Amino acid sequence: MSALGEPTSSTIARAVPRARLSLPRLGTLAKIAWVSFAYLFLLAPMIVVMGSSLDGTEVYSKVMFPPERLSLQWYERIPDAHYRALALSLGLAAAVSLGACLLGIPAALGVVRGRFPGKSLLLAFFRAPMQIPAVVTGVAFLKLYYLVGDVTGLFLNATFAGLYLGHLFVAVPYVIGTVVSVLQRFNSRLEEAALSMGAGPWRTFRRVTLPTIMPGVHAGALYAFMVSFADVPISMFLTAPGFVTYPVELFFGIETDFNPSVLASASLVIVFSLLLLLAVQRVIGLDNVVRSK
Amino acid sequence: MTATKPILSALAVLASAITVLGAVAPDAAQAQGRPFEGVTLRVATFGGPWRDDLVKNVSPKLEAMGAKVEYVIGSPQDNLAKIIAARGRDVPFDVVEVLDAQVDQAVEAGFLRRIDYSKIPNIAQVEDWARHPNAVGNWLTQEVICYDKGKFAELGLPAPTSYRDLADPKLANRVMLADITGGGGLANFAGMTYAAGGDTKNVRPGLDLIRTIKGAKFWKAGGDVVTGFKSGDIWAAVAHTGWCLRAIKFAGANVASAHPRISDTQRGVIKVGWLGIVEGTKNQAAAEAFVNAYLDEEFQVAFAKNSGVWPVNKRAAQRLRTEDPVFVALNLIEPAEMNRMLRIDYKGVNINSWYDQWNRAISR
Repeated sequence: MSALGEPTSSTIARAVPRARLSLPRLGTLAKIAWVSFAYLFLLAPMIVVMGSSLDGTEVYSKVMFPPERLSLQWYERIPDAHYRALALSLGLAAAVSLGACLLGIPAALGVVRGRFPGKSLLLAFFRAPMQIPAVVTGVAFLKLYYLVGDVTGLFLNATFAGLYLGHLFVAVPYVIGTVVSVLQRFNSRLEEAALSMGAGPWRTFRRVTLPTIMPGVHAGALYAFMVSFADVPISMFLTAPGFVTYPVELFFGIETDFNPSVLASASLVIVFSLLLLLAVQRVIGLDNVVRSK
Repeated sequence: MTATKPILSALAVLASAITVLGAVAPDAAQAQGRPFEGVTLRVATFGGPWRDDLVKNVSPKLEAMGAKVEYVIGSPQDNLAKIIAARGRDVPFDVVEVLDAQVDQAVEAGFLRRIDYSKIPNIAQVEDWARHPNAVGNWLTQEVICYDKGKFAELGLPAPTSYRDLADPKLANRVMLADITGGGGLANFAGMTYAAGGDTKNVRPGLDLIRTIKGAKFWKAGGDVVTGFKSGDIWAAVAHTGWCLRAIKFAGANVASAHPRISDTQRGVIKVGWLGIVEGTKNQAAAEAFVNAYLDEEFQVAFAKNSGVWPVNKRAAQRLRTEDPVFVALNLIEPAEMNRMLRIDYKGVNINSWYDQWNRAISR
């Protein structure tokens, strides 16, 4: 640099190779920035919800972010109905997840291993519940329960069993999908080896097949849980007094009015979900779950 | 044998006592004012604070009479869909809340039982117009323009007097209108249509008027209006005065209401909520008691103060005139003024055609 600050030829010469060297670094920085943006995009709604739930001002009907004053006041004002609905939704989703596995695993095995024509058609049929608008599914199940009730005398509308079956209908395809994707990559020689060494079909399934497809089962179970837990359109037709699911309670509550206790309630669910994911990570390993997809 | 005799006698006395008690128990329950002992009444209503107000103020009255009250939450359309699905079988609920846009449809379809007003003593205090043969008007809203007074002053805008005032370029992107699918959607759309020279058969002028309001946002849940004012995102909204009231009382917003001109003689729109007893209910008496409790003066006052809806109980309305200055400031309170508000007659109106036209002109 000259005394006046003008760049000299030597300073330019030094600067050029440095600029060339920093290109890879720029690339890395861009990648970091892009990934950070992606994480921020995904996490921002949760950060806003949880942050706003801690606002201590007496402002009703507003999402205040960042909070002006920290307080747990909205947590104290969570309506009892939210807790009841949350307990129901968690129990229901867990039961649906289990039921979806019990139905989905044999169905997936049958589709992948079976030798019959129209397998791809059957697989498409199994996926059909995911393509029907959920509102239509809800109304259809309600009508079906009345028709079945007319014939058998057993009315499932406004019962827990009716709600459960409605959720199971949309959850099973997720288990079938994830298990099928694992089975299609499954090395059947492992089973042949087990059979040739004297293990029976049941033992081979239990000791070889099932452990291998477990990542798919875990992933499917997790999706089934989430589909059931977050459902509104089906539940709003199948819930009844005494058992209203958490999303339905929130949806119709917000439709009428809004206050930040909803944010507090939602924050508890977020925390619970994070704890659940941590537990899954520790017990099963999230990598396995994600990889199966 | 002699030792067992006294025991047998005692058992016989006990059995007789139980039999007698069993026989007189229902009468005793009636005598103690618990005529609905063992009855579970199911009421289909809106969710959230609306349901909570009913649980807090109406349920205890029924419970004192022995009934258990359960609430089925959902929109009136969802609840009517449940009645349709259950047609010819046990009804999914005994009492249902609907809006004026659905009441005629529900009556024509035979969903609502004729009300025996002699069983509803509080009807004596209710406005005459609220006595439909098959449903009773249980609240009403005044659909208005809610606007930020400070912002309008800052912009040099006078208080709005018509929907067209919302098309002022200074308000671009700062106006919120009711989406047609929301609770206030049909009433406000009809109001804008009439104001623009249309009617229920010709809604095109209303759609054209809406399109002149640049960057209009649309609300489905009324809480959006309150949040919008508080955050400063909106400076005017077409909504009922209850949302203005909640914006003032619960969010500290500096808003006022203006009843927009509909015609030379009409200002603002009235939307009515109706309470019906579902045809086929096995709990008619308890349902009538619920309707009566809903129309009770104390509940109507408390409900109006909380939610901002106008009571149909005349004594409650009278009390609000003196007890709640915010309520008075936002609403037209004189019966003569209220009679000059537009009440939409939805009989024979093809609402689906409204939705179709809205979707083509606005949603797109």
